[in-house]
Amino acid sequence: MATVVREEGSFRDPDSRVFHGDDGVYRVLSARGLADYRALAATPLLAAAVRSGRLVETELLDDEAAPRPAETELPHAPAGVLRHARIPFVSYPYEWSWSMLRDAALLQLELLADALDHGLTLKDATPYNVQWRGAQPQFVDLGSFEPLREGEPWVAYRQFCTLFLNPLLLQALTGVPFQPWLRGSLEGIAPAELAGLLRRRDRLRRGVLTHVVLHARMERRHAGRSREVRRELRSAGFGTELIRANVAGLRKLLRRLDWRPPETVWTAYERDKSYSDADEARKDAFVRAAVAQAPQPLRRVWDLGANTGRYARIAAEHADCVLAIDSDQAAVELLYRELREERSARIVPLVVDLAAPSPALGWRGRERMPLERRGQPSLTLALAVVHHLSIAANVPLREVVEWFASLGGSLVVEFPHRDDPMVRTLLAGKRDGLHADYERDAFERLLAEAFEVERRETLASGTRTLYLAHPREGATIDLRGRRTA
Amino acid sequence: MLSLPAYLDAGTGSMLLQVLAGGLAAAAVAGRLFWNRILTLLRIRKPQEEPAAPDAPASGGPGSPRDAA
Repeated sequence: MATVVREEGSFRDPDSRVFHGDDGVYRVLSARGLADYRALAATPLLAAAVRSGRLVETELLDDEAAPRPAETELPHAPAGVLRHARIPFVSYPYEWSWSMLRDAALLQLELLADALDHGLTLKDATPYNVQWRGAQPQFVDLGSFEPLREGEPWVAYRQFCTLFLNPLLLQALTGVPFQPWLRGSLEGIAPAELAGLLRRRDRLRRGVLTHVVLHARMERRHAGRSREVRRELRSAGFGTELIRANVAGLRKLLRRLDWRPPETVWTAYERDKSYSDADEARKDAFVRAAVAQAPQPLRRVWDLGANTGRYARIAAEHADCVLAIDSDQAAVELLYRELREERSARIVPLVVDLAAPSPALGWRGRERMPLERRGQPSLTLALAVVHHLSIAANVPLREVVEWFASLGGSLVVEFPHRDDPMVRTLLAGKRDGLHADYERDAFERLLAEAFEVERRETLASGTRTLYLAHPREGATIDLRGRRTA
Repeated sequence: MLSLPAYLDAGTGSMLLQVLAGGLAAAAVAGRLFWNRILTLLRIRKPQEEPAAPDAPASGGPGSPRDAA
């Protein structure tokens, strides 16, 4: 019997609780939750969606094989336990680019449309139920499926709007990125909030008028009459056909909706992708050797400042899961489009500001985990990153190195010297003497405190040095980045 | 007594909006919804500035057997 740890973000649905075990993720169901699962398993939908990768692989465990969490951990008597295949790295919608959120939304709607065809529905509609295997979205919350009750409206419609549709519309119509808003508000963007931001001509657009503007007005006018309206709708003959029509309409709306990164981002991206000189070739070779020589299997690689994904792709030659992390959501969008085209199963592109990585959020700060708590890297790539953190974001060099060390794995890091053209540009905006600690010798001393440096190579240009380093035994670093021993 | 099975609150405005957004499939439902409201209003008090119902037939007003569910 496996020992399991409760997933602290799983508490809203009383019929299903998630636990983590060594060999997978467990979902403990109430009697009602189990009946819902059996209803799903009785349709061809479950097997077909698992086969196509749209639903996470799942099995219902025998009683002997099922873990038994303490009663205090459950709001219900356990009636059955599902085991799900593990997702290599759990990410959140505020770390996704625009097209990632849209593809997740389309997956949600596609599964709902299929469910309706089989007399089922999805009780919620949140992007937190979608995770990524490379550039492919997968729906992970099997507890969402339940039998459809004739005459009930689509209960999760509002949630679909606040967490999927409105963030996508916000960015597509106003150009304002949705990630900071979703990070600030876990419930998403309310119809009235978005309606207040739109220009007149956008308010009249098809889809926007109904789902945002009229939706906001309806909410204002009909607050607090829930039960009465439910009864009215039922007696007026509200049926599955209507939900189906709404879902079809939303799918069409989303498929037509587009957001394109600004031209300058496209141009810079294409330039970086095709850029090649002696330094780049050496960097490629250095990373390739580091990845190939790392203890195999290389479970997880973080590529910090991934940009066009050049090194993430090299890492993916040997690693099962590579996070291509960049703070520029527009660059991540372009990378995602390419990876989707390539059907990448290993590289997950994510939008994260390295100077302020995703924090603990939600109820008691336990619902959404900080980036570092969701699976640390066995290897971190930090190429063309240190000068941005240290100079542009004013993070002391010591802190930068300590953060790398706190991640726990080996490190490939590039240090651009003080006379590197890019460093000069960054320093030019700062007053003299502000970054006196930004020196190669100082960096190497700091690096040696926490790491054993295995290899060092200064590139042909003479202004950048690469290091391959492994965590030093005994120098344990806690998650705040302070050395404790 | 209606059962409220979901753990989410569907939101009153959001439920009504689904009738507006449902296109053709929703026309008959919308018609009946407003027609039912008018009948209710007529019985209780004078008609108010509720929009006139389109040419929809009345069926299954409040008090139909489903309400007992």
